[in-house]
Order: sequence, then C-alpha cells, then structure tokens
Amino acid sequence: MELRQIDAFRWEIPRHGKMRVPGRIFASERMMADIRRDKSLEQVANVAWLPGIVGYSMAMPDMHWGYGFPIGGVAAFDPDEGVLSPGGVGYDINCGVRLLRSDLRRDQVVPHLDELSIALHQAIPSGVGSESRRKLGDRELDDVLRRGAAWVVAQGMGRRADLDVIEEGGTMAGADPALVSARARERGRPQLGSLGSGNHFCELAYVAEIFDERAAEAFGLFADGVTVMIHSGSRGFGYQVCDDSLRTMLQASQKYAIELPDRQLCAAPLGSPEARAYFGAMACAINFAFANRQVMTHHVREALTSFFGEGPQGLGLDLVYDVCHNIAKWENHTVDGRERKLCVHRKGATRAFGPGHPAVPARYRAVGQPVMIPGDMGRYSFVLAGTEGSMRETFGSSCHGAGRTMSRHEAKKRAKGRPIWRELQDRGIWVRTDSLGTLAEEMSEAYKDVADVVEVVHGAGIARKVARLVPMAVVKG
Amino acid sequence: MTRGWRALDHTADLALSVWAESEAALLAQAARALVCVMTDDARPGPRRSWDTRELALDALDPEDRLVRWLNEVIYLAVAEGFLTRAADVRLDGNGLAARLAGERGAVATELKSATYHDLHLTGDGGRWRARFVVDV
Repeated sequence: MELRQIDAFRWEIPRHGKMRVPGRIFASERMMADIRRDKSLEQVANVAWLPGIVGYSMAMPDMHWGYGFPIGGVAAFDPDEGVLSPGGVGYDINCGVRLLRSDLRRDQVVPHLDELSIALHQAIPSGVGSESRRKLGDRELDDVLRRGAAWVVAQGMGRRADLDVIEEGGTMAGADPALVSARARERGRPQLGSLGSGNHFCELAYVAEIFDERAAEAFGLFADGVTVMIHSGSRGFGYQVCDDSLRTMLQASQKYAIELPDRQLCAAPLGSPEARAYFGAMACAINFAFANRQVMTHHVREALTSFFGEGPQGLGLDLVYDVCHNIAKWENHTVDGRERKLCVHRKGATRAFGPGHPAVPARYRAVGQPVMIPGDMGRYSFVLAGTEGSMRETFGSSCHGAGRTMSRHEAKKRAKGRPIWRELQDRGIWVRTDSLGTLAEEMSEAYKDVADVVEVVHGAGIARKVARLVPMAVVKG
Repeated sequence: MTRGWRALDHTADLALSVWAESEAALLAQAARALVCVMTDDARPGPRRSWDTRELALDALDPEDRLVRWLNEVIYLAVAEGFLTRAADVRLDGNGLAARLAGERGAVATELKSATYHDLHLTGDGGRWRARFVVDV
C-alpha cells in the first residue's frame, strides 16, 4: 500500500481505487513499522470507500487490525450523502473509561494494598459472564436503556454532579427499547454493574507525574493523589445489538447499492429506516454502558469509604470524566471554514473536544475535555486534555489506549510457567482476578508502550498531556 | 479422526481455520472449534449429562450462513449455558436446520461474536475449508 509521510506524526494513504477520500494516520516512524505488519492500513483504505465520508478516513496511533473499521479508526459522514455503519462502532458499544479522583494520598493506601485490592475485587462482579447483584425487571431495564447513568443516579447510586462529567450527560438521546431484540435484553438483563472479562479492569493508581498544572488542578488531580479508573462497556447487551444490526445492514447495503470491500463495513444511508433503527438500538446500548460504569462507580465508592471508615461524601471521590470508545453520534464540526452537522464514528478512539467547546463541562471549559488513555496493568496510564488541534484535524478525536502488540495466544504462550501476579506484586502492583488465563493474555509485554502512543497525539497536537498515573491495585475481569 | 481446526495468530482477536469433508460437516466442525475455544479446550463431560437442541436459520448466502450459525452457537453457550459438542447440520437453501448435542456448562473465555471480516469459505468435492475472525 502506498503511504506518504507528511511529517513526524502524520501519514497519508493517497486516494486509489474506490476510495472517496484519502486516509490519514497519526503515528511515529517506529510505530508505522509495526502497523505495516497487519492489515489495519488496508482497513483505513476500506473505510474510505463508504459513501458520504468527509475529509479523511482516519486512524489514531494505537491503531491495529480490527474487523470492518480498524481499531483506532475515526470517520465522519455527511447527513445527506453519508451512511451509518455498525462496523464503525464495534461489538462492545460504548466501551469506555471513567476516572475518579480522591483526596487520598499514595502513602495512605500503600500499606493496605493487599486488603484494598481484595475489597475492590469483592465490590465489583468481574470475569466471564459476571452478573450483577440484582436482576433487572422489564420496566427497570427499559429505564436503563432510555436514561443510562441518569437512571442509576436517580436510584441513589451516585450524585447528580456525576452526570455533568459524562459524555452526553450519561444519557444518549434517541434510545428506543422497542428496537432492541429479546435476545439482547436477555444477555444484558443480569449484567448491569459488572466488569466483564478481557481487557476490562478497575484500577487504583496514583498521580506519578504532572505535565500541565492548570489542567490537572481543574481535573482535581495532584501529585501522589489516588485515582480509580474503570474500563468496561455494554457487556452482552451491546454485542447482541451489534450482531442483530448486521443482519439488517447487510441487506440494506444491497438494497441501497453500497459497494463494500469488507462485509463487516455494511451500512445504510443516514436517513434510511435501517439506519434510524440501528441508531435507536445503539443508543440503548450506549445508555446500558453508561449505567454499567455508574453502578460500578457506586460499588467502588462504597468499598473505599467503608474501608477507610468515611461517610459517602468522604475521600473526595469525585468523577473526573467518563468517555466513550466505540460510538457513532451527531456532532457539529467546522470543515473548510463551514460548520456542518456530521455523524462521527469512533471505533477505539476517544472524543477529545478542545477548550471553549460548549459540550465540555463548564469547570473544564478553559482547559479542554479530559481524555483518559489507559496503558497496560504493569506500566502507566495517561490523562490528556482535548485541544483546538483535535477540533481542526480529527473531528475532535484522539487515541484510546495502548493497543496490543501480541496476540492473546502468543501472550499465553510466553507467560507459561511465570507467576504474572507475583511479578507485578514485586513491583508494588496488586492484581486480583478470577482467571489466571486473562492475566497472562493481559500482561504488560502484550501491549505497546502507551507512552509512545501519547507522544504522537501530544506531538501532533490532537491532545495535550496532563498527568501520568501509575497502578497500585488492579481488578481484572 | 484429526482435530479439524486450528487457531491462527491475530493480534486483537481470534481467527480460526476449519476443515471438513462437506459444507455441512464444516459447519458442525466450526461449532465444535468455537466451543473448544470458549471452554479453553476442556474435554467434554460424560455423555449422560448431555442435552439436545434444534434450530433452523435463514441466511443471505453460504458465508452469512456460517456467521449466523456460529453466533447461534455462541448465544446458546453464553446466554443459556449450552455447550455444543456435536451437531447434525442439514443445509436448506441458503439456510440450515440442525440438531445440536451438548452439555450444560459455563464458558471460560467470552466470545462476543463471529464476524464477516476476512471470512473465507471454499470447497469442492470432499474438501471444505473456512477461516473466520471472532471478536473476543
């Protein structure tokens, strides 16, 4: 595949074949050597085939081979000419990350990590097929699907202020439970408030480094301050919504004569009944995920305040922000000097709105939207802020994580005979899991160094470094 | 009998290569392979604890049939705790009808869905092959 290097952080796939726009990739030269080894560049080119795509088919530096869109893919579509593609959102709809800050200092928790990690593990149902503490009735499930995190807060699990710092306020508009299959309901019903398995986690960390004092202060972060990060999505509910939609979308692609280089990119015109139906069901899954992370936040707050003998408002466990990784939504962006309403798909990418944007909560508006970039469990994660650069170049988007460098299979092979949990504990990181297999698959070496990814987005100006977090206790699904 | 399938290296997800002597046998083999992955290759339990299911589905074409079939097998495993260990598959136009034999149990590895991405299904005479990617 022909690839032109534009500068230290930008690459272009020139238009060829049936591509409607060029591809734009954010990566360093060293990372590009890795990226070239799989099929993700071809996937960037494939996305550019879709009708109504605006500007570029983009990929963030943590890009890797997915199905349909590459993981790390961003694409925006014109409302009249464009399409909605479930393959541009993925199976784990609204998989995302939220960060809590606290008044706790590192030295207050380090002596208790053994017990604290057990307390967190007990507080959050985790692992394959993990189930919540109570099964939702039909009407409750409808409420979750319509109202997301707002419903959970109304149930007494959380604070109204939490909703101010969740993308979409924790409630995606346009959700219609009538558009969701019985199967999706059955898969989701027992799972609200559970972590799941794979790369999902809940992590206690401390602020190891601050790069931007002003933004860190706005986010409530200070040196050695303790944070909690939760990474999870819409569980079986979202997988089933995606699966169900592909059936309709494959037929829709034929009906509307949309030429596809990969069937997983199947799509329907944005105004069509098929696209509207997927949007209504996807919004339900988005709300399920917001609600899921909100319930787990409640469990974490309860576990930590009871551990340290504080009241519910104690410890200053405030939500910093909650971002989505897999989503399609309507946003206004300036293209060639003109403001346009576009349907932005982010698959393994994070919204990163810059300073002054009205969708950024008032208290962060001067510094930009918080963007959390989890690394692997043995190294570090980053907190960034959105910039004017992301608004100008990437439809207000940035990277979402480290990205794997090793297959799960390969990681398991290399971890054989090694007590991964002990290696981590020797470095001061207490890991709790129900599955040693997951631990092996998720070991540090299986991931790229997230610092490399962050250097690219910072260098390219599509996000700005604010702080680096180092894990102390990790609950793995 | 040879195993009839193997896992391929795929960075983010799981790719499987499956082979059999007919398309119907290939579908049954692919289902068994998926369940092996979901149960971390654990051997099936004693036959007396087995149960059976029947299902039928429609599809757009043979590739779509393979994906839909695999997603039925995943759904039965993760939502109903039914682990397919053998299947008698009859092709019916672009769809199929099948009788599944399996055991009750929990999955060890959660699979989200079989995908259409990079899907290959080929066959003629007595040699059928498929490779497909599963979202883990």
